[in-house]
Amino acid sequence: MSATESSMDVLEVRLLAAHDTGDVATLVMLYLEAADRAAAGYHIEKECFFLTHAWIFALEIGDPLADILRARLARNGRV
Amino acid sequence: MTFRDLSAVLQPIAEANGLPNVFYTSDAIYAEEREALWFSSWAGICVAADVPEPGDACPIDFLGVPLFLLHGKDGKIRVFQNICRHRGMILVTEPRQIAGAIRCPYHSWCYNHQGGLVATPHVGGPGQNTHPDIKRDELGLIEVRAHIWLGVVYVNLSGDAPAFTDLHADLIERWAEFDVPLYHGGADSTFTLECRTNWKLAIENYCESYHLPWVHPGLNSYSRLEDHYNIEAPGKFSGQGTEVYRQIEGEAGAKFPDFPNLSDKWDTGGEYITVTPNVMLGVQRDHVFAIILEPKGPRLTREHIHLFYASPDTSEELRLQNADQWQVVFVEDIGVVEGMQAARGAPGFDGGRFSPAMDGPTHIFHRWVADKMMHTPPDAEKGLM
Repeated sequence: MSATESSMDVLEVRLLAAHDTGDVATLVMLYLEAADRAAAGYHIEKECFFLTHAWIFALEIGDPLADILRARLARNGRV
Repeated sequence: MTFRDLSAVLQPIAEANGLPNVFYTSDAIYAEEREALWFSSWAGICVAADVPEPGDACPIDFLGVPLFLLHGKDGKIRVFQNICRHRGMILVTEPRQIAGAIRCPYHSWCYNHQGGLVATPHVGGPGQNTHPDIKRDELGLIEVRAHIWLGVVYVNLSGDAPAFTDLHADLIERWAEFDVPLYHGGADSTFTLECRTNWKLAIENYCESYHLPWVHPGLNSYSRLEDHYNIEAPGKFSGQGTEVYRQIEGEAGAKFPDFPNLSDKWDTGGEYITVTPNVMLGVQRDHVFAIILEPKGPRLTREHIHLFYASPDTSEELRLQNADQWQVVFVEDIGVVEGMQAARGAPGFDGGRFSPAMDGPTHIFHRWVADKMMHTPPDAEKGLM
């Protein structure tokens, strides 16, 4: 298992924990982290998938980050 | 008399009969009333105090129609149908604070506080959040006409009733002195009573003062029958008034503050009127109350009682005393409205006769029901399916 795969496993555990507790603010940051990792690996489809989740949860809690996330999706033609 | 022949109800009070039994017992009539009496009018669904802060949301079951109330971030209180425009999922399942978008728990379509559809995640495929056939500006939440008066939230589901302020202009004018900021007394100033009765019997009883000395002997000690008067506005509203309202007093003579700038009439006056179909209001110099009826079938009704004051800072002790006093009165009424309901099983009952002197307000309500039921096609779902 590579270091990247291992850290993704940890991230997934953290994501599931945040889903379990309904911690939406943490979900925003964790999905953004997942999107950034995908972007680092040039996986644009994965990046936009995770960005979408981060954006939606940011919208839900009225986090100003929602505008930035939307703009990033827009740059990729996803909104 | 069949249930459609309501001519006897529409006669002058001296010759009139009340509504037939089936109007209190029939599931079919109850279903028709949804359209004819409730959806086509302005019905009370809750109080604005249920959503005191921006972002507060509260689901409402309005005769089987799922609605939710939202105090928007722009300060406006709106009522929406509680369904996502995607797959019809319920959006709000419990009272809660919605700081940002209203996110559907199913596929996460998101709506803003004005009801606009703002996000459709993955709608065009994974990570693709648009699709040319999904036009967001056509898929906002379905807003329901709403109006707030004296703290109560009214809705007109059909969307074609006259404006609330036009329909109830006379009543609004009559009670203009109470159209000032009202402060809900909070948790200690609301309670719910469940009555095994048809909702109409609760109103019929509320309309008249005839029963007071018999059913409420405690009130009769100072508020006698002769101190009351009928309030009759045929086709509009009806109720009763008293000329001897006595303020509640706590220890050392403490009283609630009065509403500002009231005329002398209200020094000892109190009035009790029904906003048809389902809100029974009472106004006095120092508090207002609203009883919102929530039918749960032809034979079961919930009464949601709310008390409002002239100030946000009132004595908890006095509020509790006031709520207790009214609860005693309203509980005393349960026996008679349940008794009348049970009697509707008697096949020979002809709807009863009214006292021309004392039952005018009740007859006005019967006529309102009969007139609307006779002029609405017997298709309970007309226009709403």
